[in-house]
Amino acid sequence: MKKSFAVFWKRNLAFAKLAIVSNLEYRLNYFVDAVLQPTLTTGIEILLWFAVFRGAATTEIAGFSREYYLAYALWGAFFARICTSWMYEFRMIQEIDSGSINAILTRPMTYYEYYFSQLMGYKFITTIVSMVIPLLAIAIFNLPTKFERLPLAFALEFYYLILVHSISFVIAASAFYLNKIYSFTGAKNLALWLLTGELFPLDLMPEPIRSLVIALPFSSGVYVPVGYLTGRLEIATVWQSFLSVTAGIVIVNAFGAILWKKGLKAYTGTGA
Amino acid sequence: MAIVIETQDLTRVYKSYQKPEGFTNSLKGFFKRQYQHKVALDKTTLQIESGQIVGLVGANGAGKTTLLKMLSGLVTPSGGDARVLGYRPWERKNEFLRQISILLGQKNQLWWDISPADSYSLLARVYDLDPQAARKRVEHLAEMLQCTHVLHTQLRRLSLGERMKMEIIGALLHEPQVLFLDEPTIGLDIVAQETIREFLDQYVKEKAPTIILTSHYMDDIAKLADKLLLISKGHIVYQGTVPEFVAKSNSELAENEEVDFEEVIRRFLETESRVR
Repeated sequence: MKKSFAVFWKRNLAFAKLAIVSNLEYRLNYFVDAVLQPTLTTGIEILLWFAVFRGAATTEIAGFSREYYLAYALWGAFFARICTSWMYEFRMIQEIDSGSINAILTRPMTYYEYYFSQLMGYKFITTIVSMVIPLLAIAIFNLPTKFERLPLAFALEFYYLILVHSISFVIAASAFYLNKIYSFTGAKNLALWLLTGELFPLDLMPEPIRSLVIALPFSSGVYVPVGYLTGRLEIATVWQSFLSVTAGIVIVNAFGAILWKKGLKAYTGTGA
Repeated sequence: MAIVIETQDLTRVYKSYQKPEGFTNSLKGFFKRQYQHKVALDKTTLQIESGQIVGLVGANGAGKTTLLKMLSGLVTPSGGDARVLGYRPWERKNEFLRQISILLGQKNQLWWDISPADSYSLLARVYDLDPQAARKRVEHLAEMLQCTHVLHTQLRRLSLGERMKMEIIGALLHEPQVLFLDEPTIGLDIVAQETIREFLDQYVKEKAPTIILTSHYMDDIAKLADKLLLISKGHIVYQGTVPEFVAKSNSELAENEEVDFEEVIRRFLETESRVR
């Protein structure tokens, strides 16, 4: 048991390293992804909230000042980038669609762990690299952030990534039947744009939608960790989020396991 | 000798969408689809002994690759049963996967964006090999294949022949007991084909794995195979040794006719195809 866990751990560490090594092969692409894109997103979000407050000619919206919204926008953009996996999801789908999954299926490893470890490895490194942007902006604009809350906010974010990956797994497994399902990823990302709280803080929604959306596990992607970090939310909401993400992981993976099993029976070993 | 691979009435039926040409038919197909069922492999029963090299020969679409895919666990059969090293392949147990390898000549199994050396380190982790021993083995195999100089070049930058050699090293790194080779020399020039053939010949003498080999180049089969399996339209139409097959076929030819192995196979399969 001890030995098999060690083997499993080393193998998955190797997958995580693979993600980093592969991305570093293309330096400019990595720089754009890890630095330029988050800088642009941050700039856009900050401009947007500046414009909203200037246009509304007010100092507060829903009880929070401009600085709170700027801090939310800043960290929101940062956390939203961590919790999206469209790039890996795209590759997972392509792997099944093109048949290159054959190389995974005939080796002692699982498709789920292979992509999960790569996703975690890539997100871990990119998070460290990209973090310099919000830290700089917080310092420049003097925005409210409770730095002592960062570890728990990150813990929730990376826990939420398990759910993100599980959803990608379900979508990718559908490719066994449907082949081209890239549009699913687009539709899902649009929904999550709203449901995670990336577009705007979820507490701006009217009741009862507000309570419902916050109770869903997707709010753990942006709204809860950022709200907690910027002082908008307290720790009780974070614990609730851990619970709702756990429920989400169980449900999505149960569905994924069924879909995967059936998908493999239908699989024709495409392309060889 | 122990039986390593056995199948009983192994069958696979593929279902595919059929659409007559044209825009209107595309619209019709959007609402109502018509499917065709094609038997790729029909009730195939065979046994392969340990250490044998089996040449699997047949025309395109005869069912060779389907058989390989089922025996390696890639494809689940529609009917029948199979055991490889005592395991049902499509259950994909790790103990089974550690003992086999499949090389698909038309598909990359290594990682496109990194060097083969990086891929092998990763494979060593996947197969739980000692990293030091794995490195030595890579060096040894690379020397045998005369490709040491490209081990640290990104895979995507290698020529087809170099890539295939890298794929072969990757497939043999964990010393599989059963090896499935699907057209390992496809698209290669004569020199590269010959190098790979000689390498496989030497490797088999050294490690004695059980191999199922498909190829459209009859030289591969003639040089390497102990046993011949001819497959036509999803049916095994001949099982036996290569010399037996040639002798049998020659006895059926006109007295003054002399044909080579490739020609004998071609004629045999053409006849089988007409019959079925």
